Amino acid sequence: MNEEVRVSEDAQLSEGTPESGAHEEPVPEKEEPEEKAEKRPTVRVRIRRGGAAGDPEERFDSFEIETGPRMTVLDALVAVQSAQEPALSFRYSCRVGMCGTCALKVNGRPAWACRTRLEGLGDEITLEPLTNFPVLRDLAVDMSPFFAKMKRARGWLEPTSAAEKAPALIAPGSRERKRIEPHIECITCGICYASCSIVGHDSDYLGPAALNRAYTLVNDSRDALGLERLLEVCTEDGAWRCHSQYNCTESCPKGISPTGAIKGLKRRAVTGGVKRFAASIFRGRAPGE
Amino acid sequence: MTSVKEPPATNKPPVWKISAWRSMYPGMWSWVLQRLSALALIVLFPIHVMNPYIDSVRITMLLLVVWHAMHGIKVILTDFGFPDRHQRKLFWVLCVLGIAAFFWLAYMHTEYWRFMA
Repeated sequence: MNEEVRVSEDAQLSEGTPESGAHEEPVPEKEEPEEKAEKRPTVRVRIRRGGAAGDPEERFDSFEIETGPRMTVLDALVAVQSAQEPALSFRYSCRVGMCGTCALKVNGRPAWACRTRLEGLGDEITLEPLTNFPVLRDLAVDMSPFFAKMKRARGWLEPTSAAEKAPALIAPGSRERKRIEPHIECITCGICYASCSIVGHDSDYLGPAALNRAYTLVNDSRDALGLERLLEVCTEDGAWRCHSQYNCTESCPKGISPTGAIKGLKRRAVTGGVKRFAASIFRGRAPGE
Repeated sequence: MTSVKEPPATNKPPVWKISAWRSMYPGMWSWVLQRLSALALIVLFPIHVMNPYIDSVRITMLLLVVWHAMHGIKVILTDFGFPDRHQRKLFWVLCVLGIAAFFWLAYMHTEYWRFMA
């Protein structure tokens, strides 16, 4: 039904040329520039629709849009929604790669819509909702299973009594900080969770983001949950489920390696277990007593 | 029998659809091929034990063992702290080393059998 070619005016907004006037009132009847305006290249955007209770039929609808320089997938979605299909559902917030809300699948791979430019994506761009999430409608997915797992991994700081009394001093060059540093920038966009094939296979698996968060906290000297959290996340449905496929690491837009964090958790669990076992031999008691 | 409440339908392409495989990265291929090589070895090993003189089985097994081992080494190295930012390079380096090892071992193997004959 949406196969007809309708060109969006909003495509021009992303150009930033003086004529576009993104923040000005629309100027009526400017005949000369319109005549001079050259034909911009167009792309066909295929968007997966449906999936909601009121619209259960899953299908792909195509829209043709004019592109401009530096135009992003998010610009294209806004252009489609404002000029061609007002009922199109997708989610975004900051538009500058800070919030991670606009994550979706671009040509089969998860990415942020706001930081993915149309250039190099081809003449036909396929947009789908993130894998491994329940679809609310069109491109918008339900993030609640993802955050429930973050909660299961206890993804918050439980301060020790010392940390509650005074600010902790953790030197930038310290071993602790160096361990945590590469894993701390996660903005919970869900791209790693969508790219992980193990999440697709085992719905109880905590997933890369929750385990990455747990790793930062397990290594944090201000945190009081240490061993308790480690035991919580190093289970069959936790760190040990990871098969080192590196899909999460390859797809993370922030350059984080959740696989590295999971391997760190595994190392910590093994060394902790070996130490406890060795100590138990010397004490003559079973581990954990 | 009581009915269990269905969880919300998760967006998951079925494995037989190409779209499910399009987002695969080298690390994933490494894992998939290692698993497939393991399955093939399970089938080939009994054949090899029953009749160790089938050349095609021997060479295929050599190839599969080398492939399986190379990616096993990759997992072991990364488990013991090999930097993750170089894991893709490690994959390709091990692929090249694996191919070289295969040809070298195949050559040694042929020479050995020629000597024995």
